[in-house]
Amino acid sequence: MSWDFIVGQFAVQFGLWWVIWPAILLGIVVGILPGFSPQNTLIMLLPLTLAVKVEVALAFMIALYCANHLAGGIPAILVKIPGSGGAAATTLDGYPMTQKGQAQQALVLCFTASVFGGLITTLATLALLPWLSQIGLVLRSVEMVVVMLFGLTLIAVIAAKDFLKGLIAGFFGLLIGVIGTDHIYNTPRATFGFLELYDGVPLVPALIGLFAISEALVMLEEKMIVGKEGQAKAASAQWAGIIDGLRLSVKYWWQIVWTSFVGLFIGIVPGAGASIAAFVAYQQSRLWSKHPELYGTGIPEGVIAPEAANNGVTSGTLVPTLALGVPGGSTAAVMMIVLQYHGMVMGPRLFASNPEVAYGVFVSMAVAYIFMIFTILPLARYMSRIVLIETTYLAPIIVLVTIVAAFGERQYAFDMGLALVFGVIGYIAHKTNYHVTAILIGVILGPLFEQYLVRALRISQGDFMILFSSTIGNTLWALLALSLVLPFLRGWRQKKALAAAQFGEDD
Amino acid sequence: MSSKQSSPGKAPLGADLVIPGLALGFAAYFFFSIADLAWEAKANGVLIGSVLVLLIAIQLVRTAVQVAKKKADLSMAPLLEPPDALPRRVGLVLLTVVFIAAMPWLGLTLSLFLGLAAGLYLMGVRKRSHLIWTPLAVAASAYILFIAALNSDFPHGPVENALAALTSLFQARP
Repeated sequence: MSWDFIVGQFAVQFGLWWVIWPAILLGIVVGILPGFSPQNTLIMLLPLTLAVKVEVALAFMIALYCANHLAGGIPAILVKIPGSGGAAATTLDGYPMTQKGQAQQALVLCFTASVFGGLITTLATLALLPWLSQIGLVLRSVEMVVVMLFGLTLIAVIAAKDFLKGLIAGFFGLLIGVIGTDHIYNTPRATFGFLELYDGVPLVPALIGLFAISEALVMLEEKMIVGKEGQAKAASAQWAGIIDGLRLSVKYWWQIVWTSFVGLFIGIVPGAGASIAAFVAYQQSRLWSKHPELYGTGIPEGVIAPEAANNGVTSGTLVPTLALGVPGGSTAAVMMIVLQYHGMVMGPRLFASNPEVAYGVFVSMAVAYIFMIFTILPLARYMSRIVLIETTYLAPIIVLVTIVAAFGERQYAFDMGLALVFGVIGYIAHKTNYHVTAILIGVILGPLFEQYLVRALRISQGDFMILFSSTIGNTLWALLALSLVLPFLRGWRQKKALAAAQFGEDD
Repeated sequence: MSSKQSSPGKAPLGADLVIPGLALGFAAYFFFSIADLAWEAKANGVLIGSVLVLLIAIQLVRTAVQVAKKKADLSMAPLLEPPDALPRRVGLVLLTVVFIAAMPWLGLTLSLFLGLAAGLYLMGVRKRSHLIWTPLAVAASAYILFIAALNSDFPHGPVENALAALTSLFQARP
């Protein structure tokens, strides 16, 4: 692969601006709506992508996919409704920033973290593709059990204010996540007799209910979702707010870089996805922060970490798809179908037989991200004004539109009712301080954790020691133990330093 | 003591027991549903469910101690406050139930238009123009995105059928 080839690929992709821009706009619109995942949209648009040339189809699908990942953070920040599971962690600090009147800055942070996180990991993938494709082979079920536990430890972090309530919420979510048929015998568990639950609890209705509907039911108590100061700031939103957001992005550039790589590595593992990446990145970001106690109060790092990781996943998912012929996720699977229809054979041979497609995917992704920053950044100023709409209008619109969106993923009317049930549970949890994010982490990670755990135990015929049988796995265990011990160690040192300072003053 | 209002100076902890109550009920049903399954199918659920039951037991003891010390009562006040928002909240939930039930007959566009108009009225909006144009804009956007552009499988009703007939009429003309 020469420089001339890469430069040529960039020229080809920039020439496809006429298909990339509409795809970005469509990706943003469907990304804002919970329920319309990129794979759903791509499936619905299959007649279009199958009818055009392969490079055009590819540019369209990639741009839509990346824009969709970026847009999920917009409603998460503005109205605490994540557009996708990958944006759920963004609500933790994004929405508090909006409540403080910093919606514009939060949106800019979301956009820059997404775009540059996506761009950096895409360029890294282009450079390191042969090596990165091996990661999917090294991270097996044993190692993935530990990766899942990294995400699950976030429940304990969220539970910091009321540890018992947080843990009850988290374990309630984990148990809900076990609903459905088991991974070995396909026998139904706790499905209440509904066939619609045999595949497990669908994520989108859970997400919509726990965040969107519960939040709409709570917001009825106030006339506006932000205080007077926040309203004044939103009403007078100027370009200065965007420049301030860009300044913050530059200030936290390293945060964007390393959390996007968390997303890339997790994205490479087939089956793992943006939700896990975002939660793990948030948890790690908090762990290594100098001020972990500020997470959840509306700080830039809390928006950057999940958004950069969420978009780092986009290039990661395509690595096993192209290099091994194993789709890294459902969107990658749809893209694979389109490419195969056009005569492409996935796997290592693709890089020799059709390098313009194999490398073109990542070049197309880089170009889509470059186009995206110019498309979306100016919109932050206007989007931030959504907080000026009265809750009497917002609440019914949010409830009914998101209920409609709940139908979108699987096209089952059952999912709309399920979203409402989760909405009521979420409302009760919200009003009694059982963290809804802890429930959602359980619902998302529970089934994946079980899948990897049961697979590992099945291989070892029930011997738990298999979990400590690999060098990489043991290294991850050590890092996990460090993640759990470090906050306590840090707290103990801070207390000691405080006591020493007080002792000094007394002297 | 009323179940709705908390006594002055006492923490209303009744509402705090709703989520543990739901979780406990679900855990009991879960254990019942997996009783006859192979160990691989129930290992994870048993582990999670057991920890959950233990946590709920601790929460119950914690609440009982608070109530026994007369520092708390079993009021549900946090779920029902503020009183002026309660009818709108319950109304919105009921409206959503009706919306879901009516969509297969009315179709996406009409049910969304009527549901939103009713929802806005329920929230206290009385301006006729807002009651018409806001739902119309949302319903039209939903039609354009979900039915016209993405051709998804949302229920079709009178509006979708009429527009489809109209479109085919124009397409049929030479």
